[in-house]
Amino acid sequence: MFLNIFYNRLKCIVRDKSLIFWTLVFPLILATFFNMAFSNLSKSEALKVVDIAIVDNAQYQRDKAFQNFVEQHSKDIPDSEKDIHLFNVRVVSPEEADRLLDNNEIAGYVTYGEPIRLTVKSSGFNQTIIKEIFDQYSQTVSTAMSIVKREPAALQNGLAEDLGNIAGFTREVQIGTKDKPDITVNYFYTLIAMSCFYGAFFGLKEVTDIQANLSKRAARLNAAPVHKLKVLSAGLFAGLMVSLAEIMLLMGYLVFVLKIDFGNQIGFILLNCLLGCASGISFGALISAANKKSEGVKTAILIVSTMAAAFLAGMMFDRMKYIIQQYVPALSYINPVALITDAFYALYYYDTHTRFYINTGLLGIYTVVFCLVTYMIIRRQKYDNI
Amino acid sequence: MIVGVKNLVKRYGDLVALDHLSFNVKEGEIFGLLGPNGSGKTTAINCILSLLNYDKGEIELFDKPMAPDAYDIKRDIGVIMQDVAVFDELTVYENIDYFCSLYVRDREKRRGLVEEALDFVGLKDFRKFYPKKLSGGLLRRLNIACGIAHKPRLIILDEPTVAVDPQSRNNILDGIKRLNEDGATIIYTSHYMEEVEQLCSRIVIMDKGRVIASGSKEELKGMIKLGEKISVEIFGLSSVHINQIKNLPNVSSVEYIDKTLSIKYNKGKNNLTTLLDFFREHDISFGRIYSELPTLNDVFLEITGKELRD
Repeated sequence: MFLNIFYNRLKCIVRDKSLIFWTLVFPLILATFFNMAFSNLSKSEALKVVDIAIVDNAQYQRDKAFQNFVEQHSKDIPDSEKDIHLFNVRVVSPEEADRLLDNNEIAGYVTYGEPIRLTVKSSGFNQTIIKEIFDQYSQTVSTAMSIVKREPAALQNGLAEDLGNIAGFTREVQIGTKDKPDITVNYFYTLIAMSCFYGAFFGLKEVTDIQANLSKRAARLNAAPVHKLKVLSAGLFAGLMVSLAEIMLLMGYLVFVLKIDFGNQIGFILLNCLLGCASGISFGALISAANKKSEGVKTAILIVSTMAAAFLAGMMFDRMKYIIQQYVPALSYINPVALITDAFYALYYYDTHTRFYINTGLLGIYTVVFCLVTYMIIRRQKYDNI
Repeated sequence: MIVGVKNLVKRYGDLVALDHLSFNVKEGEIFGLLGPNGSGKTTAINCILSLLNYDKGEIELFDKPMAPDAYDIKRDIGVIMQDVAVFDELTVYENIDYFCSLYVRDREKRRGLVEEALDFVGLKDFRKFYPKKLSGGLLRRLNIACGIAHKPRLIILDEPTVAVDPQSRNNILDGIKRLNEDGATIIYTSHYMEEVEQLCSRIVIMDKGRVIASGSKEELKGMIKLGEKISVEIFGLSSVHINQIKNLPNVSSVEYIDKTLSIKYNKGKNNLTTLLDFFREHDISFGRIYSELPTLNDVFLEITGKELRD
């Protein structure tokens, strides 16, 4: 009987077009839009090397410290330090510098002197970088001169070396040792988490169909010689299967079509998806069992709560995840969508699985709690009102 | 005894939905629960099925106390609810098969039962249709098929003909008679007195959660004073004549409205002959004339002072 109920519930879920739209098609559409919106985000944030020229004059040739400074920012530092160079520098005559600037071959050129002069054709991101870096140099030199005037002995104490080793302005920092960080991937984590949690709609449907005070079909079912927990467990299991299959389709679309990299820990990813779907379905079952409002009201409650949970997990605004962790850290442990998201995040960025286990462990606990509370509510076999 | 309800009390807050309701249903009968909307018929059915909590009383089915987990009792019951209770996502065949599977595990046996049910309600040609593609009448027939496919000994039909076209209604009523002829005991609730009168061998009339009368239709009609109603189309009738008619034998009341004379008689004989003699003696010309025996609505009206459909 269990299998027959399971099979029929499976058919009911799969043929519910509205349900399948919201739990499968809608996340696929969102994923496509996310991909369109974020595809250039990483590229635009990557720092591009700026082409500049230095006017070759006597002052430049005399000042070895300045030459050293320019050289530092125009070549890659050895890999161990992971600095990246900022400028492609050409040392040219003033006429050549003007020509290069006119032809847009360089963003600007620097004429070394007192003060250092920057010539540009227009203002922009690259021009600002050039200005900031050479201003920094001027300020450092000016500070050093002041120190030497007051404390000439500083020169013997390594001031010159310090000036010659002005720290790099950019440094690539890797959080773990596995993958290069990609900030957009967090949006896709929250999208998958939200989709897992959309399993709540399956849970809602299953409970509605076994509670005699919620639907006429359920009243007919309650009049039949079958334990309603058997029907519920078959229904929730069917819901879990469909939800998991949908997540696999979504993951497949993200990985193979949109080429989103989720790392290669397939087993852990599946475990997270399974627990995410289970927590979603049990949450929906709880919402349905806990109130006697119409199915429409319950669906509205689910949509609002799922979207709110996804928002707080950072789906619409990636900083939200960090704001919550900074100001209301408890919320990120209560919010199942945030837990699913963070479990993916932990898998992707960290070498150890501690954080992943905490997140998935909490999801497992919530699933059990939601199921137990639902059972406590629906185990009542007679109703006061139908 | 198939069903025994004794002193059943059900309250919704201050409202008493069932007020010491008692009745019995015997094996093989078509038992009618007749009453206006809100009289407590559906509440009584839900209590009998152990779906609703009740405050007081006893319910026995097949001489055993009914309980939510009395699966041996439930196995012999078929329920057809007032609202259509089927899955929109399953086809006609799948719906019947699903509900039948809750009672019958054997797949082969079930296949035969589902085919029989499809044949019984005339939905064989619609087996692959989804409920949304069915008309209201066909949907009601599917609702019935889902409740009877497992061949229950007791079939409870709660207002199965609400919002059904006359053709489908006749089809449903014929089907219920055939189910009864095949051995099933039927409990039929309705606020349509004509259906109950046509179908039921024994009737309980309910109002405000109480039994106000019970018996066969003949017994119920025998309980009231009204014996006959005669209506006559007359184009002109003086108040003198009306007063004279009031004094004829067995007449209980006379009304003359819109050229129609309505006379109610207490039980008695030769009322129409006496009236025709009166018209002849006073040279009163008349058009159509017809006589009606009392209906269950008259029974309800006389006992409660209100129409059944109020």
